[in-house]
Amino acid sequence: MSNDNPIIRITDVSKYFDTVAALTHVSLDIGQGEKVVIIGPSGSGKSTLLRTINRLEDISTGRIVVDGFDLDDKTVDINKVRMEVGMVFQSFNLFPHKTVLQNLTLAPIKLKGMSEKEADVMARQLLDKVGILEKADVFPAKLSGGQQQRVAIARALAMSPKIMLFDEPTSALDPEMIGEVLDVMVKLAREGMTMVCVTHEMGFAREVADRIVFMDEGQILEIATPAQFYTNPQHPRTQKFLEQIL
Amino acid sequence: MKHQGKCAVEEPQIIIDVGDGAAIPKPSDKGLVSAWRLSFAGALLVLGYLLVFHPDPYLRIFKFIPDGILITFQVTVCSIALALVFGLITGLGRISRNKYVNLVASTYVEIVRGVPLLVQLFYIYYALGRIVHVPDLLAAVLSMSVCYGAYMGEVFRAGILAIPTGQTEAARSLGFSRTQTMYYVVLPQAWRTILPPVGNEFIALLKDTSLVSILGVADLLRRGREFASESFLYFETFTMVAVVYLIITLVLSKLVSIMEERLSHHVKR
Repeated sequence: MSNDNPIIRITDVSKYFDTVAALTHVSLDIGQGEKVVIIGPSGSGKSTLLRTINRLEDISTGRIVVDGFDLDDKTVDINKVRMEVGMVFQSFNLFPHKTVLQNLTLAPIKLKGMSEKEADVMARQLLDKVGILEKADVFPAKLSGGQQQRVAIARALAMSPKIMLFDEPTSALDPEMIGEVLDVMVKLAREGMTMVCVTHEMGFAREVADRIVFMDEGQILEIATPAQFYTNPQHPRTQKFLEQIL
Repeated sequence: MKHQGKCAVEEPQIIIDVGDGAAIPKPSDKGLVSAWRLSFAGALLVLGYLLVFHPDPYLRIFKFIPDGILITFQVTVCSIALALVFGLITGLGRISRNKYVNLVASTYVEIVRGVPLLVQLFYIYYALGRIVHVPDLLAAVLSMSVCYGAYMGEVFRAGILAIPTGQTEAARSLGFSRTQTMYYVVLPQAWRTILPPVGNEFIALLKDTSLVSILGVADLLRRGREFASESFLYFETFTMVAVVYLIITLVLSKLVSIMEERLSHHVKR
Protein backbone atom coordinates (compact mmCIF):
# COMPACT_ATOMS: atom_id res chain seq x y z
CA MET A 1 0.00 0.00 0.00
CA SER A 2 1.08 3.54 -0.62
CA ASN A 3 1.41 4.35 3.02
CA ASP A 4 4.21 6.84 2.53
CA ASN A 5 1.60 9.46 1.82
CA PRO A 6 -1.54 8.36 3.67
CA ILE A 7 -4.86 10.09 2.98
CA ILE A 8 -5.92 9.48 6.57
CA ARG A 9 -3.34 9.71 9.33
CA ILE A 10 -4.48 8.94 12.86
CA THR A 11 -1.75 9.55 15.40
CA ASP A 12 -1.91 8.57 19.07
CA VAL A 13 -5.60 9.40 19.43
CA SER A 14 -7.42 9.02 22.74
CA LYS A 15 -11.02 9.81 23.42
CA TYR A 16 -12.83 9.94 26.74
CA PHE A 17 -16.55 10.05 27.43
CA ASP A 18 -16.44 11.74 30.81
CA THR A 19 -13.92 9.46 32.49
CA VAL A 20 -14.51 6.37 30.41
CA ALA A 21 -11.89 5.80 27.75
CA ALA A 22 -13.43 5.00 24.37
CA LEU A 23 -10.12 5.13 22.51
CA THR A 24 -6.65 4.90 23.97
CA HIS A 25 -3.52 5.74 21.98
CA VAL A 26 -4.83 4.67 18.60
CA SER A 27 -2.62 5.19 15.57
CA LEU A 28 -3.50 4.17 12.04
CA ASP A 29 -2.49 5.33 8.58
CA ILE A 30 -4.72 4.65 5.61
CA GLY A 31 -3.43 5.02 2.09
CA GLN A 32 -5.17 6.39 -0.97
CA GLY A 33 -7.43 3.74 -2.44
CA GLU A 34 -6.95 1.41 0.47
CA LYS A 35 -9.79 -0.60 1.95
CA VAL A 36 -9.59 -1.04 5.68
CA VAL A 37 -12.07 -3.11 7.63
CA ILE A 38 -12.33 -2.54 11.37
CA ILE A 39 -13.49 -5.52 13.38
CA GLY A 40 -14.02 -6.03 17.07
CA PRO A 41 -16.53 -6.88 19.75
CA SER A 42 -19.23 -4.33 20.49
CA GLY A 43 -18.04 -1.53 22.72
CA SER A 44 -14.51 -1.90 21.42
CA GLY A 45 -14.46 1.68 20.11
CA LYS A 46 -14.46 0.80 16.42
CA SER A 47 -17.45 2.99 15.56
CA THR A 48 -16.06 5.80 17.69
CA LEU A 49 -12.77 5.60 15.80
CA LEU A 50 -14.59 5.73 12.48
CA ARG A 51 -16.61 8.73 13.58
CA THR A 52 -13.51 10.67 14.58
CA ILE A 53 -12.37 10.60 10.95
CA ASN A 54 -15.05 13.13 9.93
CA ARG A 55 -15.16 14.60 13.44
CA LEU A 56 -18.66 13.46 14.28
CA GLU A 57 -16.78 12.62 17.47
CA ASP A 58 -14.22 15.02 18.85
CA ILE A 59 -11.02 13.52 20.15
CA SER A 60 -9.49 14.23 23.54
CA THR A 61 -5.82 13.94 22.60
CA GLY A 62 -3.84 13.05 19.51
CA ARG A 63 -4.04 14.17 15.93
CA ILE A 64 -6.03 13.23 12.86
CA VAL A 65 -5.09 14.46 9.41
CA VAL A 66 -7.51 13.79 6.56
CA ASP A 67 -6.46 14.60 3.00
CA GLY A 68 -3.93 17.09 4.33
CA PHE A 69 -6.34 18.79 6.73
CA ASP A 70 -5.62 18.65 10.45
CA LEU A 71 -9.06 18.20 11.98
CA ASP A 72 -8.12 20.01 15.17
CA ASP A 73 -6.72 23.00 13.34
CA LYS A 74 -9.06 25.88 14.08
CA THR A 75 -8.50 27.35 10.63
CA VAL A 76 -9.69 24.19 8.92
CA ASP A 77 -13.32 24.35 7.82
CA ILE A 78 -14.61 20.99 8.97
CA ASN A 79 -17.56 21.24 6.59
CA LYS A 80 -15.16 21.34 3.65
CA VAL A 81 -13.40 18.23 4.95
CA ARG A 82 -16.72 16.45 5.45
CA MET A 83 -17.65 17.13 1.84
CA GLU A 84 -14.69 14.92 0.89
CA VAL A 85 -15.61 12.17 3.33
CA GLY A 86 -18.83 10.29 2.69
CA MET A 87 -20.46 8.41 5.53
CA VAL A 88 -22.98 5.59 5.61
CA PHE A 89 -24.76 4.85 8.86
CA GLN A 90 -26.16 1.74 10.41
CA SER A 91 -29.65 3.26 10.53
CA PHE A 92 -29.51 4.77 6.99
CA ASN A 93 -30.63 8.23 8.20
CA LEU A 94 -32.24 9.19 4.91
CA PHE A 95 -34.14 12.46 5.02
CA PRO A 96 -37.77 11.33 5.29
CA HIS A 97 -39.21 14.63 4.04
CA LYS A 98 -37.32 14.40 0.75
CA THR A 99 -37.77 12.00 -2.14
CA VAL A 100 -35.01 9.55 -2.95
CA LEU A 101 -33.75 11.83 -5.69
CA GLN A 102 -33.89 14.91 -3.46
CA ASN A 103 -31.94 13.02 -0.81
CA LEU A 104 -29.13 12.78 -3.32
CA THR A 105 -29.36 16.25 -4.81
CA LEU A 106 -29.85 18.35 -1.67
CA ALA A 107 -26.21 18.57 -0.64
CA PRO A 108 -24.66 19.01 -4.12
CA ILE A 109 -27.13 21.80 -4.92
CA LYS A 110 -26.83 23.65 -1.63
CA LEU A 111 -23.17 23.02 -0.87
CA LYS A 112 -21.51 22.78 -4.26
CA GLY A 113 -23.76 25.17 -6.10
CA MET A 114 -24.64 22.52 -8.65
CA SER A 115 -27.60 23.39 -10.85
CA GLU A 116 -30.76 21.41 -10.31
CA LYS A 117 -30.48 19.90 -13.78
CA GLU A 118 -26.87 18.83 -13.34
CA ALA A 119 -27.61 17.39 -9.90
CA ASP A 120 -30.59 15.53 -11.29
CA VAL A 121 -28.56 13.86 -14.03
CA MET A 122 -25.76 12.97 -11.62
CA ALA A 123 -28.18 11.61 -9.01
CA ARG A 124 -29.94 9.42 -11.53
CA GLN A 125 -26.62 7.95 -12.66
CA LEU A 126 -25.78 7.12 -9.06
CA LEU A 127 -29.20 5.61 -8.42
CA ASP A 128 -28.73 3.51 -11.52
CA LYS A 129 -25.36 2.42 -10.22
CA VAL A 130 -26.84 1.20 -6.92
CA GLY A 131 -29.69 -0.38 -8.87
CA ILE A 132 -32.57 1.67 -7.58
CA LEU A 133 -33.27 4.19 -10.32
CA GLU A 134 -36.94 3.25 -10.55
CA LYS A 135 -37.50 4.52 -7.00
CA ALA A 136 -36.11 8.00 -7.69
CA ASP A 137 -39.34 9.81 -6.98
CA VAL A 138 -40.69 7.94 -3.97
CA PHE A 139 -40.16 8.83 -0.33
CA PRO A 140 -37.70 6.75 1.71
CA ALA A 141 -40.43 5.38 3.98
CA LYS A 142 -41.68 3.37 1.00
CA LEU A 143 -38.39 1.52 0.59
CA SER A 144 -37.06 -1.65 2.19
CA GLY A 145 -34.06 -1.45 4.49
CA GLY A 146 -31.68 -2.69 1.83
CA GLN A 147 -33.01 -0.19 -0.68
CA GLN A 148 -32.72 2.62 1.84
CA GLN A 149 -29.13 1.76 2.59
CA ARG A 150 -28.27 1.68 -1.10
CA VAL A 151 -29.83 5.13 -1.44
CA ALA A 152 -27.78 6.25 1.55
CA ILE A 153 -24.60 5.07 -0.17
CA ALA A 154 -25.62 6.91 -3.34
CA ARG A 155 -26.36 10.03 -1.29
CA ALA A 156 -22.86 9.98 0.15
CA LEU A 157 -21.38 9.38 -3.32
CA ALA A 158 -23.31 12.34 -4.72
CA MET A 159 -20.75 14.64 -3.08
CA SER A 160 -17.97 12.84 -5.00
CA PRO A 161 -16.04 12.08 -1.82
CA LYS A 162 -12.45 10.85 -1.77
CA ILE A 163 -13.10 8.63 1.21
CA MET A 164 -16.10 6.57 2.24
CA LEU A 165 -16.79 5.60 5.84
CA PHE A 166 -19.20 2.77 6.59
CA ASP A 167 -20.49 2.38 10.13
CA GLU A 168 -21.93 -1.14 10.35
CA PRO A 169 -23.93 -0.61 7.16
CA THR A 170 -25.61 -4.00 7.20
CA SER A 171 -26.25 -4.47 10.91
CA ALA A 172 -29.78 -3.07 10.84
CA LEU A 173 -30.81 -5.10 7.79
CA ASP A 174 -32.84 -8.24 7.43
CA PRO A 175 -30.52 -11.08 6.37
CA GLU A 176 -31.90 -11.34 2.85
CA MET A 177 -31.08 -7.69 2.18
CA ILE A 178 -27.47 -7.73 3.31
CA GLY A 179 -26.25 -9.10 -0.03
CA GLU A 180 -27.59 -6.27 -2.17
CA VAL A 181 -25.85 -3.68 0.00
CA LEU A 182 -22.57 -5.57 0.13
CA ASP A 183 -22.66 -5.95 -3.67
CA VAL A 184 -22.76 -2.18 -4.01
CA MET A 185 -19.88 -1.83 -1.56
CA VAL A 186 -17.77 -4.41 -3.39
CA LYS A 187 -18.43 -2.60 -6.65
CA LEU A 188 -17.31 0.63 -5.06
CA ALA A 189 -14.17 -1.00 -3.73
CA ARG A 190 -13.32 -2.31 -7.20
CA GLU A 191 -13.49 1.25 -8.53
CA GLY A 192 -10.65 2.21 -6.22
CA MET A 193 -12.52 4.17 -3.57
CA THR A 194 -10.72 4.63 -0.27
CA MET A 195 -12.93 2.82 2.20
CA VAL A 196 -12.96 2.45 5.96
CA CYS A 197 -15.58 0.02 7.07
CA VAL A 198 -16.77 -1.12 10.47
CA THR A 199 -18.60 -4.37 9.91
CA HIS A 200 -19.36 -7.83 11.18
CA GLU A 201 -19.48 -9.22 7.65
CA MET A 202 -16.47 -11.53 7.63
CA GLY A 203 -17.00 -12.59 4.04
CA PHE A 204 -16.89 -8.98 2.90
CA ALA A 205 -13.77 -8.31 4.97
CA ARG A 206 -12.02 -11.33 3.50
CA GLU A 207 -12.95 -10.43 -0.05
CA VAL A 208 -12.44 -6.68 -0.08
CA ALA A 209 -10.11 -5.59 2.71
CA ASP A 210 -6.48 -4.76 2.10
CA ARG A 211 -5.99 -4.75 5.84
CA ILE A 212 -8.11 -5.78 8.76
CA VAL A 213 -7.87 -3.83 12.00
CA PHE A 214 -8.89 -5.66 15.15
CA MET A 215 -9.92 -3.50 18.08
CA ASP A 216 -10.88 -4.21 21.66
CA GLU A 217 -11.40 -1.93 24.64
CA GLY A 218 -10.49 1.18 22.71
CA GLN A 219 -7.20 -0.14 21.41
CA ILE A 220 -5.96 -1.52 18.13
CA LEU A 221 -4.68 -4.98 18.98
CA GLU A 222 -3.79 -6.23 15.56
CA ILE A 223 -3.50 -5.05 11.97
CA ALA A 224 -3.12 -7.71 9.31
CA THR A 225 -4.00 -8.71 5.79
CA PRO A 226 -7.14 -10.88 5.57
CA ALA A 227 -5.04 -13.95 4.82
CA GLN A 228 -2.88 -13.48 7.90
CA PHE A 229 -5.78 -12.36 10.02
CA TYR A 230 -7.99 -15.37 9.43
CA THR A 231 -5.36 -18.08 9.18
CA ASN A 232 -2.72 -16.90 11.60
CA PRO A 233 -3.99 -14.29 14.09
CA GLN A 234 -1.21 -13.12 16.40
CA HIS A 235 -2.94 -11.59 19.38
CA PRO A 236 -4.62 -14.00 21.84
CA ARG A 237 -7.67 -11.72 22.02
CA THR A 238 -7.99 -11.92 18.24
CA GLN A 239 -7.72 -15.67 18.31
CA LYS A 240 -10.44 -15.89 20.92
CA PHE A 241 -12.69 -13.49 18.99
CA LEU A 242 -12.28 -15.43 15.76
CA GLU A 243 -12.99 -18.72 17.51
CA GLN A 244 -16.25 -17.29 18.77
CA ILE A 245 -17.52 -15.95 15.47
CA LEU A 246 -16.23 -18.43 12.91
CA MET B 1 -26.24 1.75 20.55
CA LYS B 2 -22.91 2.72 21.90
CA HIS B 3 -22.81 6.24 20.41
CA GLN B 4 -25.44 7.11 22.90
CA GLY B 5 -22.58 7.36 25.33
CA LYS B 6 -22.28 10.98 24.42
CA CYS B 7 -25.82 11.55 25.62
CA ALA B 8 -24.26 11.86 29.03
CA VAL B 9 -23.63 15.49 28.19
CA GLU B 10 -26.87 16.06 26.36
CA GLU B 11 -30.06 17.04 28.04
CA PRO B 12 -32.57 14.26 28.45
CA GLN B 13 -35.29 14.44 25.86
CA ILE B 14 -38.49 15.90 27.12
CA ILE B 15 -41.54 15.58 24.97
CA ILE B 16 -43.93 18.29 25.92
CA ASP B 17 -47.50 17.65 25.00
CA VAL B 18 -48.80 21.15 25.03
CA GLY B 19 -52.54 21.45 25.36
CA ASP B 20 -54.83 18.55 26.00
CA GLY B 21 -55.70 18.36 22.34
CA ALA B 22 -59.36 18.91 22.97
CA ALA B 23 -59.73 21.62 20.39
CA ILE B 24 -58.26 19.97 17.31
CA PRO B 25 -60.14 17.04 15.85
CA LYS B 26 -57.99 14.05 15.02
CA PRO B 27 -58.05 12.69 11.47
CA SER B 28 -59.31 9.41 12.93
CA ASP B 29 -62.46 11.16 14.07
CA LYS B 30 -63.51 11.38 10.46
CA GLY B 31 -66.85 9.87 9.62
CA LEU B 32 -67.91 9.77 13.22
CA VAL B 33 -70.28 12.15 14.88
CA SER B 34 -67.34 14.08 16.23
CA ALA B 35 -67.35 16.58 19.05
CA TRP B 36 -66.28 19.16 16.54
CA ARG B 37 -69.25 18.63 14.25
CA LEU B 38 -71.64 18.57 17.16
CA SER B 39 -70.34 21.84 18.58
CA PHE B 40 -70.17 23.53 15.21
CA ALA B 41 -73.66 22.50 14.17
CA GLY B 42 -74.96 23.41 17.62
CA ALA B 43 -73.36 26.84 17.54
CA LEU B 44 -74.75 27.57 14.06
CA LEU B 45 -78.19 26.36 15.07
CA VAL B 46 -78.24 28.54 18.18
CA LEU B 47 -77.03 31.51 16.17
CA GLY B 48 -79.62 30.96 13.46
CA TYR B 49 -82.39 30.42 15.96
CA LEU B 50 -81.61 33.59 17.88
CA LEU B 51 -81.27 35.74 14.77
CA VAL B 52 -84.43 34.45 13.11
CA PHE B 53 -86.79 34.07 16.01
CA HIS B 54 -85.49 36.79 18.33
CA PRO B 55 -84.14 39.44 15.99
CA ASP B 56 -84.65 41.95 18.76
CA PRO B 57 -82.15 42.24 20.43
CA TYR B 58 -79.96 39.54 18.87
CA LEU B 59 -79.85 40.94 15.36
CA ARG B 60 -79.03 44.37 16.80
CA ILE B 61 -76.16 42.85 18.77
CA PHE B 62 -75.01 40.90 15.73
CA LYS B 63 -74.85 44.09 13.69
CA PHE B 64 -72.96 45.88 16.43
CA ILE B 65 -70.04 43.49 16.89
CA PRO B 66 -68.43 42.92 13.42
CA ASP B 67 -65.93 45.75 14.04
CA GLY B 68 -64.85 43.86 17.10
CA ILE B 69 -64.50 40.59 15.19
CA LEU B 70 -62.21 42.34 12.73
CA ILE B 71 -60.04 43.70 15.54
CA THR B 72 -59.93 40.28 17.20
CA PHE B 73 -58.77 38.81 13.91
CA GLN B 74 -56.14 41.47 13.43
CA VAL B 75 -54.75 41.02 16.93
CA THR B 76 -54.79 37.24 16.52
CA VAL B 77 -53.10 37.11 13.12
CA CYS B 78 -50.42 39.68 13.99
CA SER B 79 -49.74 38.03 17.34
CA ILE B 80 -49.48 34.58 15.82
CA ALA B 81 -47.01 35.76 13.19
CA LEU B 82 -44.86 37.53 15.74
CA ALA B 83 -45.19 34.75 18.32
CA LEU B 84 -43.96 32.23 15.75
CA VAL B 85 -40.86 34.32 15.17
CA PHE B 86 -40.27 34.76 18.93
CA GLY B 87 -41.01 31.08 19.43
CA LEU B 88 -38.53 29.92 16.82
CA ILE B 89 -35.80 32.18 18.19
CA THR B 90 -36.55 31.07 21.75
CA GLY B 91 -36.69 27.41 20.82
CA LEU B 92 -33.36 27.62 19.01
CA GLY B 93 -31.94 29.60 21.92
CA ARG B 94 -33.07 26.96 24.38
CA ILE B 95 -31.18 24.24 22.52
CA SER B 96 -28.19 26.44 21.75
CA ARG B 97 -24.82 25.18 22.89
CA ASN B 98 -23.85 28.74 23.73
CA LYS B 99 -24.33 29.07 27.50
CA TYR B 100 -25.36 32.70 27.42
CA VAL B 101 -27.83 32.43 24.58
CA ASN B 102 -29.30 29.46 26.36
CA LEU B 103 -29.53 31.34 29.64
CA VAL B 104 -31.22 34.36 28.07
CA ALA B 105 -33.78 32.21 26.28
CA SER B 106 -34.50 30.12 29.36
CA THR B 107 -34.86 33.18 31.56
CA TYR B 108 -37.30 34.71 29.12
CA VAL B 109 -39.39 31.55 29.21
CA GLU B 110 -39.28 31.37 33.01
CA ILE B 111 -40.33 34.97 33.47
CA VAL B 112 -43.12 34.87 30.94
CA ARG B 113 -44.45 31.62 32.32
CA GLY B 114 -44.34 32.99 35.83
CA VAL B 115 -46.40 36.11 35.22
CA PRO B 116 -50.11 35.98 34.36
CA LEU B 117 -50.89 37.15 30.84
CA LEU B 118 -53.25 39.80 32.13
CA VAL B 119 -50.50 41.27 34.31
CA GLN B 120 -48.10 41.14 31.36
CA LEU B 121 -50.60 43.04 29.27
CA PHE B 122 -50.88 45.81 31.85
CA TYR B 123 -47.16 45.80 32.40
CA ILE B 124 -46.13 46.12 28.78
CA TYR B 125 -48.83 48.71 28.18
CA TYR B 126 -47.88 50.94 31.09
CA ALA B 127 -44.16 50.23 31.15
CA LEU B 128 -43.84 51.04 27.46
CA GLY B 129 -46.15 53.98 27.97
CA ARG B 130 -43.60 55.60 30.25
CA ILE B 131 -41.04 55.74 27.45
CA VAL B 132 -43.00 56.05 24.24
CA HIS B 133 -46.63 56.35 23.48
CA VAL B 134 -47.66 53.00 22.10
CA PRO B 135 -50.95 52.60 20.32
CA ASP B 136 -53.25 50.24 22.22
CA LEU B 137 -53.36 47.79 19.37
CA LEU B 138 -49.58 47.56 19.13
CA ALA B 139 -49.21 47.09 22.88
CA ALA B 140 -51.79 44.34 22.72
CA VAL B 141 -50.06 42.52 19.85
CA LEU B 142 -46.65 42.88 21.51
CA SER B 143 -47.83 41.49 24.83
CA MET B 144 -49.63 38.59 23.25
CA SER B 145 -46.64 37.65 21.11
CA VAL B 146 -44.11 38.01 23.90
CA CYS B 147 -46.21 35.72 26.04
CA TYR B 148 -47.07 33.16 23.38
CA GLY B 149 -43.57 33.32 21.93
CA ALA B 150 -42.30 31.80 25.17
CA TYR B 151 -44.86 29.00 25.10
CA MET B 152 -44.20 28.31 21.43
CA GLY B 153 -40.49 28.34 22.16
CA GLU B 154 -41.03 25.28 24.32
CA VAL B 155 -43.03 23.62 21.57
CA PHE B 156 -40.33 24.34 18.99
CA ARG B 157 -37.67 23.05 21.34
CA ALA B 158 -39.53 19.81 21.96
CA GLY B 159 -40.23 19.40 18.25
CA ILE B 160 -36.60 19.92 17.30
CA LEU B 161 -35.34 17.56 20.00
CA ALA B 162 -37.77 14.93 18.77
CA ILE B 163 -35.91 14.63 15.45
CA PRO B 164 -33.46 11.71 15.73
CA THR B 165 -29.80 12.71 16.07
CA GLY B 166 -29.06 10.48 13.07
CA GLN B 167 -30.68 13.11 10.85
CA THR B 168 -28.32 15.78 12.10
CA GLU B 169 -25.34 13.46 11.80
CA ALA B 170 -26.24 12.52 8.24
CA ALA B 171 -26.54 16.17 7.25
CA ARG B 172 -23.35 17.19 9.03
CA SER B 173 -21.45 14.30 7.46
CA LEU B 174 -22.44 15.60 4.02
CA GLY B 175 -20.87 18.94 4.88
CA PHE B 176 -23.87 21.00 6.00
CA SER B 177 -23.13 23.53 8.70
CA ARG B 178 -25.11 23.57 11.93
CA THR B 179 -27.41 26.30 10.62
CA GLN B 180 -27.92 24.66 7.23
CA THR B 181 -28.70 21.37 8.95
CA MET B 182 -31.33 23.07 11.05
CA TYR B 183 -32.84 24.85 8.06
CA TYR B 184 -32.79 22.11 5.42
CA VAL B 185 -33.14 18.95 7.48
CA VAL B 186 -34.34 19.39 11.06
CA LEU B 187 -36.91 22.19 10.93
CA PRO B 188 -38.85 20.89 7.90
CA GLN B 189 -39.31 17.63 9.77
CA ALA B 190 -39.88 19.21 13.17
CA TRP B 191 -42.64 21.34 11.71
CA ARG B 192 -44.83 18.27 11.35
CA THR B 193 -44.54 17.31 15.00
CA ILE B 194 -44.79 20.92 16.05
CA LEU B 195 -47.92 21.80 14.13
CA PRO B 196 -50.57 20.16 16.36
CA PRO B 197 -49.37 21.78 19.60
CA VAL B 198 -48.73 25.06 17.78
CA GLY B 199 -52.25 24.84 16.41
CA ASN B 200 -53.52 24.49 19.94
CA GLU B 201 -51.51 27.55 20.88
CA PHE B 202 -53.11 29.47 18.00
CA ILE B 203 -56.53 28.65 19.32
CA ALA B 204 -55.62 29.49 22.89
CA LEU B 205 -54.14 32.75 21.65
CA LEU B 206 -57.29 33.61 19.77
CA LYS B 207 -59.33 33.16 22.90
CA ASP B 208 -56.85 35.03 25.05
CA THR B 209 -57.05 38.05 22.75
CA SER B 210 -60.27 38.75 24.63
CA LEU B 211 -58.00 39.98 27.44
CA VAL B 212 -56.84 42.92 25.34
CA SER B 213 -60.28 44.45 25.69
CA ILE B 214 -58.98 45.54 29.10
CA LEU B 215 -56.52 47.85 27.35
CA GLY B 216 -59.31 49.59 25.54
CA VAL B 217 -58.81 47.73 22.29
CA ALA B 218 -62.21 47.47 20.67
CA ASP B 219 -62.17 43.74 20.06
CA LEU B 220 -65.13 41.40 20.01
CA LEU B 221 -65.50 41.27 23.79
CA ARG B 222 -65.06 45.01 24.17
CA ARG B 223 -67.74 45.69 21.58
CA GLY B 224 -70.00 43.33 23.45
CA ARG B 225 -69.38 45.13 26.71
CA GLU B 226 -70.07 48.48 25.05
CA PHE B 227 -73.37 47.22 23.75
CA ALA B 228 -74.31 45.66 27.05
CA SER B 229 -73.52 48.72 29.11
CA GLU B 230 -75.75 50.85 26.89
CA SER B 231 -78.61 48.43 26.58
CA PHE B 232 -78.31 46.57 29.90
CA LEU B 233 -78.90 43.38 27.93
CA TYR B 234 -75.99 41.54 29.55
CA PHE B 235 -77.23 37.98 29.16
CA GLU B 236 -78.25 38.38 25.53
CA THR B 237 -75.07 40.20 24.56
CA PHE B 238 -72.67 37.74 26.12
CA THR B 239 -74.61 34.81 24.73
CA MET B 240 -74.01 36.27 21.30
CA VAL B 241 -70.35 37.00 22.04
CA ALA B 242 -69.78 33.47 23.31
CA VAL B 243 -71.44 31.87 20.29
CA VAL B 244 -69.41 34.00 17.88
CA TYR B 245 -66.16 33.13 19.69
CA LEU B 246 -67.08 29.47 19.59
CA ILE B 247 -67.74 29.53 15.85
CA ILE B 248 -64.48 31.33 15.11
CA THR B 249 -62.49 28.97 17.30
CA LEU B 250 -64.06 25.90 15.74
CA VAL B 251 -63.32 27.15 12.23
CA LEU B 252 -59.70 27.81 13.20
CA SER B 253 -59.30 24.39 14.75
CA LYS B 254 -60.68 22.84 11.58
CA LEU B 255 -58.18 24.75 9.49
CA VAL B 256 -55.33 23.58 11.69
CA SER B 257 -56.40 19.97 11.42
CA ILE B 258 -56.65 20.23 7.64
CA MET B 259 -53.15 21.69 7.49
CA GLU B 260 -51.90 18.96 9.76
CA GLU B 261 -53.35 16.29 7.52
CA ARG B 262 -51.81 17.86 4.43
CA LEU B 263 -48.39 17.98 6.04
CA SER B 264 -48.41 14.39 7.18
CA HIS B 265 -49.80 13.26 3.87
CA HIS B 266 -46.77 12.10 1.93
CA VAL B 267 -44.29 11.38 4.67
CA LYS B 268 -44.87 8.72 7.24
CA ARG B 269 -42.06 7.67 9.47
